[in-house]
Amino acid sequence: MERLLEVRELKKTFYKEKKPFVAVDRISFHVDRGECVGLVGESGCGKSTTAGLITRLLDPDAGSILLDGEEILDWKPKDCKKLYRKVQMIFQTPQDSFDPRRTLGDGILESLQNQGMKRRAAEKRMYELLEMVDLGREFAKRLPHEVSGGQCQRAAIARALAPNPELLICDEATSALDVTVQAQIAGLLKKLQRERGLSLLLICHDLALVQHLCSRMLVMYGGAIVEEGAPDQVIQNPAEEYTKLLVESAF
Amino acid sequence: MDPLLDMRHVEIRYHGRPAVRDVSLRMEEGEILGIVGESGSGKSTLIRAAMGLLGTGGAVTGGTIAYRGQTVTGAAPDVLRRMRGPDMGMIFQNTGASLCPIRTIEDQLYESVTQHEKAQKAEIRARALELFSKMRLTDGERILKSYPFELSGGMNQRVGIMLAMALKPRLLFADEPTSALDVTVQAQVVRELMEMRRLYGAGVVIVTHNIGVVERMADKVAVMHEGRIVEYGPKEDVIGHPREAYTKRLMGAVLRIRRG
Repeated sequence: MERLLEVRELKKTFYKEKKPFVAVDRISFHVDRGECVGLVGESGCGKSTTAGLITRLLDPDAGSILLDGEEILDWKPKDCKKLYRKVQMIFQTPQDSFDPRRTLGDGILESLQNQGMKRRAAEKRMYELLEMVDLGREFAKRLPHEVSGGQCQRAAIARALAPNPELLICDEATSALDVTVQAQIAGLLKKLQRERGLSLLLICHDLALVQHLCSRMLVMYGGAIVEEGAPDQVIQNPAEEYTKLLVESAF
Repeated sequence: MDPLLDMRHVEIRYHGRPAVRDVSLRMEEGEILGIVGESGSGKSTLIRAAMGLLGTGGAVTGGTIAYRGQTVTGAAPDVLRRMRGPDMGMIFQNTGASLCPIRTIEDQLYESVTQHEKAQKAEIRARALELFSKMRLTDGERILKSYPFELSGGMNQRVGIMLAMALKPRLLFADEPTSALDVTVQAQVVRELMEMRRLYGAGVVIVTHNIGVVERMADKVAVMHEGRIVEYGPKEDVIGHPREAYTKRLMGAVLRIRRG
């Protein structure tokens, strides 16, 4: 399989009152094209920091991030437009990632127009995107607080798909949703992966979801990747203490 | 003997709009009841009504709720205030946020206990430390001296259990007590809630959207949908062999981990 993302020896230290805290400790992993990789671990283990580094929202101390073989850490901020065409992200609370005073349709249009699309073409594309995530045209006119959490997450996925990305990073994207809605969003992600060859990096702590969607999983603990493998294999024969505890705790 | 909790044909409205319709439930002493359903199904509203905590705009507009034979619906505010704590306790999703941020846990513990009984500080402390030790927390002294923000989410939930149980209620309501926690911590809090029943015989109503939590804890399960109870019975039946279409759909949506 073709390699899309390759992370090598990535490290990030935060400082609190001058005391260093290593949030991400020389991790290496990769995501192949069309693959769905799960990244699990508890709060504070460095999962979201990893996502922040891959999307250049944070600068690492050391390491390398190759996207399609290109070192993105060498890119100037201006060049990062290229990055966001290939990598997009969705979050735990979609309501917070939309402007509360603008309609969902406007939010999606903004992304399309930022890529240089003309208004008319962008509008047409916006409706296509809504359809892709199974939302009716009427949702374009709604404000984030006027729709349910699941509908808002669909809109966030539509917006993330606007630049036609190759990698979608989902940071606890289903954790705040009801179980039936979780299942729908999981189904949608699976469909996008299958039909569009989208690669997914699924950051979450729900082992069942990872087992359901991912072909490979990484377990993070204390900033390091402590275990890696096919979900069935890791869950049935966890090698590390933390992974064992995680598997035992899952309901 | 009167049941621990008896709800009959309860209807609750918010600003005139019905949120709970025709709900009947009955719990015996020491029973654990799980109420499951999606956001907006009325499950939190129901236990808030039992505690007399509906807030402005919310009212029980039909039916009755009784705790050990004493009618709660329509009871005078000071009667309810005396019952909240010693009779019925409550644990919230985020205990840390429900506490005063600028006072220590110890301070808030004293205030809460002395509202209901004349007790010496030393005795209240001993009670708290015993509860912490039952939860296998050995540094109870430090926790008591802490402010809520100094404690982790999981630790704050244990503080919530301690604060509620310090008044020895017969009935404990827990509203999504594990939903904001890491998976490994969730499992601990669930074990500790079950210890409270085993050690003190407290009945527990746990409201959650996590079917796994209910599966582990509850004796009986009530499934709520659009303000009504669509299915209610022993856990084995409701989760294992759901009869109603909605319950089947809900259980079908639960992703389960395959261990072997």
